[in-house]
Amino acid sequence: RPRGPQPQGLADSLSTCKVLVVGAGGIGCELLKNLVLTGFKNIEVIDLDTIDVSNLNRQFLFQKKHVGKSKAQVAKESALQFCPSASITAYHDSITNPDYNVEFFRKFMLVMNALDNRAARNHVNRMCLAADIPLIESGSAGYLGQVTVIKKGLTECYECQPKPAQKTFPGCTIRNTPSEPIHCIVWAKYLFNQLFGEEDADQEVSPDTADPEAAWNPEDTAARAAVSEKDGDIKRVSTKVWARSTGYDPIKLFNKLFKDDIMYLLTMDKLWKKRKAPTPLDWQQLEVSPNEEAPASGLKDQKVLDVWGYCQMFQDSVETLSSQLQEKGDDAELVWDKDDPPAMDFVTAAANLRMHVFSMNMKSRFDVKSMAGNIIPAIATTNAVIAGLIVLEGLKILSGEMETCRTVFLNKCPNLRKKLLVPCVLDPPSANCYVCVSKPEVTVKLNVQKTTVLSLQDRILKERFGMVAPDVQIEDGKGTILISSEEGETEANNNKFLSDFGIRNGSRLQSDDFLQDYTLLVNVLHTEELERDVEFEVIGEAPDKAPPPQSNQEEVNSITNGNKDSAQPSTSSKGRHHLRPLTSNSAAVATGTKRKYSETGESSAKRPRTDQSDAADDEDDIVALD
Amino acid sequence: MAATKDSKEQKYDRQLRLWGDHGQEALENAHVCLINATATGTEILKNLVLPGIGAFTIVDGHIVSGEDAGNNFFLSSDSIGKNRAQAATELLQELNSDVSGNFVEESPDKLLDNDPEFFHRFTIVIGVQLPESTCLRLGMVLWSASVPFLICKAYGLIGYMRLMVQEHTVIESHPDNALEDLRLDRPFDEFKSHIKSYNLSIMDKKDHSHTPWVIIVAKYLERWLSEHDGQPPKNYKEKEAFRQIIREGILKNENGGLEDEENFEEAIKNVNTALNPTKVPTSVEDLFNSEQCNNITAQSSSFWVMLRAVKEFVYNEGSGSLPVRGSIPDMIADSQKFINLQNVYREKAMQDAAAVSKHVESLLQSVGKPPESISEKDIKLFCKNSSFLRVVRCRSLAEEYSVDSINKDEITSRMDSPDSEMVFYLMLRAVDRFYQLHSRYPGFRKSLRISGAF
Repeated sequence: RPRGPQPQGLADSLSTCKVLVVGAGGIGCELLKNLVLTGFKNIEVIDLDTIDVSNLNRQFLFQKKHVGKSKAQVAKESALQFCPSASITAYHDSITNPDYNVEFFRKFMLVMNALDNRAARNHVNRMCLAADIPLIESGSAGYLGQVTVIKKGLTECYECQPKPAQKTFPGCTIRNTPSEPIHCIVWAKYLFNQLFGEEDADQEVSPDTADPEAAWNPEDTAARAAVSEKDGDIKRVSTKVWARSTGYDPIKLFNKLFKDDIMYLLTMDKLWKKRKAPTPLDWQQLEVSPNEEAPASGLKDQKVLDVWGYCQMFQDSVETLSSQLQEKGDDAELVWDKDDPPAMDFVTAAANLRMHVFSMNMKSRFDVKSMAGNIIPAIATTNAVIAGLIVLEGLKILSGEMETCRTVFLNKCPNLRKKLLVPCVLDPPSANCYVCVSKPEVTVKLNVQKTTVLSLQDRILKERFGMVAPDVQIEDGKGTILISSEEGETEANNNKFLSDFGIRNGSRLQSDDFLQDYTLLVNVLHTEELERDVEFEVIGEAPDKAPPPQSNQEEVNSITNGNKDSAQPSTSSKGRHHLRPLTSNSAAVATGTKRKYSETGESSAKRPRTDQSDAADDEDDIVALD
Repeated sequence: MAATKDSKEQKYDRQLRLWGDHGQEALENAHVCLINATATGTEILKNLVLPGIGAFTIVDGHIVSGEDAGNNFFLSSDSIGKNRAQAATELLQELNSDVSGNFVEESPDKLLDNDPEFFHRFTIVIGVQLPESTCLRLGMVLWSASVPFLICKAYGLIGYMRLMVQEHTVIESHPDNALEDLRLDRPFDEFKSHIKSYNLSIMDKKDHSHTPWVIIVAKYLERWLSEHDGQPPKNYKEKEAFRQIIREGILKNENGGLEDEENFEEAIKNVNTALNPTKVPTSVEDLFNSEQCNNITAQSSSFWVMLRAVKEFVYNEGSGSLPVRGSIPDMIADSQKFINLQNVYREKAMQDAAAVSKHVESLLQSVGKPPESISEKDIKLFCKNSSFLRVVRCRSLAEEYSVDSINKDEITSRMDSPDSEMVFYLMLRAVDRFYQLHSRYPGFRKSLRISGAF
């Protein structure tokens, strides 16, 4: 019997209507509280995550004793304690699980996102479009936040505006010529996976002999590249196999990574003509002459240690991680997690040692963590404001007043009109959206002789176009099935090239995602002139075509895109330099800094637009609205 | 002890990245008083308890009603009939074991009658849904004790918040886009001799391309000054010419093309901000001229003592400039060159802080206080932030409400604008007045409390 300012009719509909909350993190916890207090009685909540200590400063439905338990389940139990009359269903699961199909979504009057990553947002966006259910999207970062409303046919969908590209680094920068701390941090995270986690060919850490810059002339480059295609890199066995053969001896690992590999790099003398050459480190030498350093003040994490300090951190963390690996048995893999102390210590130590080798100033564990984990600051206050706004928009939708819905930004400081909360009119759907128009179609420029079926599936359809389980049929009059989402049906095709199936310039591929009830027609534009390391380009959304960062200070807002699964700066072999647009990221990609909202110049359209790189964190907090 | 510090660092990680360890320290030293554990009140306290204030005390003489249990997440139906301060404290305390929760089962008016000094102990007092008379009374007590008072009201979808404090001094104001303090226009002696230790014309290629941009700009500026009667580049044209001179310093390769020297590019890019004249910001100048700065007494807070000491420094050792900040931005350079440069600034900053410290000492002595009452650490922090100091002042509620000092003209002119929210202000004031006269809120038949619905 909440005595709100709502008319009786609305109060009745609150007690009967069913709503879905996607995410039980920072915003999700606040939202559940607000929903039960407002009088919502039928609430379902889903979150695949478990509770971490670093959640406790804001996710108030959780306490220390709940660490490690399901967020959805504990959130439900805590909320019911306070409000026993509500009926709450909790799912400890991923929203992309096929169990949550269009029928599932149709049960709800309203879906509210409280997510932390773009992939899940894309997916829920499509499910709500397919089910034609109104969706409230939200996100927060530090003092900033945003809420918006998405309704099929009436407003822009989550994917109407191109998302800013994610920063990637060329493989040879990571492997041979790091010039910024982030390059060393990315390298250290790759190294973690190479040693203890899932090995990934795109995450190579040893010197790259095919670096075109290392050769004296173009022919030489070509020759070296050709050799490396066959023979690869200086190591013949995998890093993991080699490390295992040494029994994960920290000193042997150290000397290979920071001495032998660096000496090898020094032999590629062309690289060091203009750059400052790296200086190899030697464990035995460092050991006999440990430096003394005056203890700095402040929090332990925020101190920068001396080289020997990082050597010891390297040794300790390698020992801890290798014994963890051993306990798990053969073929076990560790997953890097910024909140797991030994994993974070390892990356801090390895990154700093590499920074030192390449004459960069070392960074504290606190700063390394921020970059390695794409951490977005988060506080209860912002999430509380955002969750309050979500409910207000929800009440408008349930009262049938969709036309009064707004996208609302929470600023850090009042703007020129002295507003801390800035409402903006919702834009109509974009005619160019490849998701919400009636017959979505895109043109992709690629080399049919070099693009494999697997990279069409993983890099283009999943990563770039946000599909979860695509089926692809060639429009060749025969309906050849190129990719089937049924396991095992088309796996034989994976490593074949598109041209092997007769795909050429002008071919059309019909890609379906059954779960998302989404069909995308992909027009192939064959080209042999892509830049090195670029696999494909989407026409009309060229890599550099991020919306210009106009700065009408009025509505400028800066927000990050939380991103759990992609909590690592992507890098590696693609994207020769800088940005690669990967709208729908997946676990492979992301990175981040800041997102800016700037008002687009159009008169009535007050809608700020995103431009930016991207960021990622766990929990709450995200916003890649627009 | 170390373990608890570690676990705090972990628990508070996401917010430490927002307000830093000093912000956290301030939070942990705070004792917050909440008057009235309404839905709005407990929501406010929740957002303070989670990030870890040191302690809170709830003052509330009310008994939990059914309505409270319905709209307040931190009151359950089990607590109906209990004292509201106690019931809310129990549940809020569960949010964070690092916070000490207290309650007083008493109305604020009673406390004001019997023991007004009770409120002096708090870092801030938050009063929710208080009648006008209580706000004015409590406001007076807190104003004279210099305790900030935050007044909050919520009626349905309308809310009101008003902060009242005589003076709030801020040392670390975390400015956005602050300019670096590099002193290129007025190099200090140690910096000058450090610049001399570089000779760009005889360096090898590697050293040349790893020389910090600050040195490059300083070198070419010396040359410019000698060629322009000691006048630095001022307008766009001159700055452009200066950039061109730097550009000409980039090494050439065998074919006469420019080498790729990122440090020079960085120097060119930074010309504009680097040539910004070093001066005391007007906001700090204003503080220098304020009464509190010029009249140091035994009652002066350490902020004003340190400010006065900095002022003395500026007019003496500083020759018109604030103490050197001592930090430099990241730049392209090899570690050794960067560290050497950093040390030049750092050491100068320490020297300056030591000079300020001497002034602090004699100021303290002059008012009969021991010199150690302000720590070296605090003085260093103050000097480092001396360009960004801020003082916030508010009007008292008595002044705002008094017929003699009310902002009549502003209210009237705002009422002329159709979008103005001034109407809400007036209506909220009218509601307060109505309550004062009738002991009930308009629209309610009997005297009912209103609690924020959301």
